Amino acid sequence: MNPQSAPAAAPPAGPGPESGSFAAPAIELVNVARWYGNVVAVNDVSFSLGPGVTGLLGPNGAGKTTLLHMLAGFLAPSAGTVRVLGRSPHQDPSVYRQIGLVPEREAVYPFLTGFEYVRFNARLQGLHDPDAAARQAIRMVGLEDAADRAVGTYSKGMRQRAKVAGALVHDPQVFLLDEPFNGMDPRQRLAMMDLLGQLAEAGRTILFSSHILEEVERVGSQILVLVAGRLAASGDFRAIRALMTDRPHTITIHSSDDRRLAATLIADPAVFAVELAEGGLAVQTAHLSAFRRLIAERSRSVGVSLLEVVPADESLESVFDYLVRR
Amino acid sequence: MNAVPVSRSIKAIPEIVRVTLRQLLGRRRTILLLLLSVIPILMAAVFVAAGESDVDGFASSVLDVFSVTMLLPIVAVLFGTAAFGAEIEDGTVVYLLAKPISRWAVIVAKLLGAATVTALLTIASVSVAGLIALAPQGEHGRAAILGFVAAMAVGSVCYVSFFMALSLFTRRALMIGIFYFLIWEGLLSSLLAGIANFSIRQYTLGVVGAFFQLSDQEARLTPATALPLAAILVVVALALATRRLMRFEMSGSGD
Repeated sequence: MNPQSAPAAAPPAGPGPESGSFAAPAIELVNVARWYGNVVAVNDVSFSLGPGVTGLLGPNGAGKTTLLHMLAGFLAPSAGTVRVLGRSPHQDPSVYRQIGLVPEREAVYPFLTGFEYVRFNARLQGLHDPDAAARQAIRMVGLEDAADRAVGTYSKGMRQRAKVAGALVHDPQVFLLDEPFNGMDPRQRLAMMDLLGQLAEAGRTILFSSHILEEVERVGSQILVLVAGRLAASGDFRAIRALMTDRPHTITIHSSDDRRLAATLIADPAVFAVELAEGGLAVQTAHLSAFRRLIAERSRSVGVSLLEVVPADESLESVFDYLVRR
Repeated sequence: MNAVPVSRSIKAIPEIVRVTLRQLLGRRRTILLLLLSVIPILMAAVFVAAGESDVDGFASSVLDVFSVTMLLPIVAVLFGTAAFGAEIEDGTVVYLLAKPISRWAVIVAKLLGAATVTALLTIASVSVAGLIALAPQGEHGRAAILGFVAAMAVGSVCYVSFFMALSLFTRRALMIGIFYFLIWEGLLSSLLAGIANFSIRQYTLGVVGAFFQLSDQEARLTPATALPLAAILVVVALALATRRLMRFEMSGSGD
């Protein structure tokens, strides 16, 4: 992949007059539910998304794919409204001029070469110069070397990249990607994460599902967490973590005198537990902001210098684990 | 709902036809169908080698009984149900449907692709067989060739429309399609005369009648009846298929 490329810059045959800026949220769900018979797949979900990358998280069976299918117009909501760029995507093919979709299923026409597949997408989008647009999309996903090989000979990761190239060839405003990193090796994943980041910087709205938390954490901080069909949380995962007051925060501290600092901290009611280990102090507290003030004050009063104060469990994994198990 | 520009939908049709042709011709079953389509040619060679000259007899026993009654529906059911069936099964249909083109254009393109390969194979088969066995028999023989070539063209479009639409409604389209031409057309239509109005085989044989006279036992519909019925079938099948595709819903992975 060419890191210098400007992925969202208008390709040679970019969108026509139907493109433009949208004042409304790019993606908006209001009280959306979807059930299959008696099985509720998505239940009363509301959120709206603007430009940027958002990770859609949830354990298997949480309703991620159902939600993406509704956004892609391939499922009607049983209740509520789904809007993409201000329009209902269901039974409205014109909306696909502004949506790039990467489905979870990995099948791609095996008899087409990578280039032919991407150009096929460009032609169906009605681009003026499908060849140039396809070449640019292939370059963006770093598939130039394999562009003339049949997709049937591709590895899983290469097929994923071909699918992404097919989805971005028409430079859409909204990208919906279902498990886009599946089958990619670590280097390809990083390159794809960079690409999504660049597309987001260029003002595109990107929603991707994943069950690999590390992927989501690396791409961005905005998350939607689905648990059993319900939206368990949405927003910046660090902010969500800060709101989880019924679960103590763990903070690792390195200081000039850990033992002395531990003795003074344990006396404060805001501190639940202090563990003295070789690597420093592990302190548990319910209120992160209050603790930050406390640690500064107490360390000064006992004459201990703070070398490092690191929240140890503000990872996405910690947030996800909490939300799923709650 | 915003309308998709008709010109964009029309421009997409050749591209979908191209991919459909490659999709259908790349399948292993195409080789089997090729072998099947050679059978009338072999029969024609035997006919000539045996010194036969009965045009009506060859037209009836080979071109009707084998080419129209067996070869055409077999080729059409395999290509017609595969035009969409495989894509729905493997999920590649998403790459067609997530595009700003009208669903009718997708249906028309798929019909063109599948009917083209069906017609090419069956027309080639009856043409070569006819040229070997019937062309040397004079005007009468050449009329028979013309009649069966036209019939294969019309029959291909009718059968493929029907089987393709069927494949959008049921995953058992292949089985139901085979049941249709074996039981409905093959068995029941010989017992109940009225079934001729609902038999693609009879529409096909009716077209033959515009060029070459088959016996009343074989062709029960006149060209004037067969062609409008064939047109109605195609229009209804395409309309139903388009409606079905508009309402297509993706099944998730349970996620």
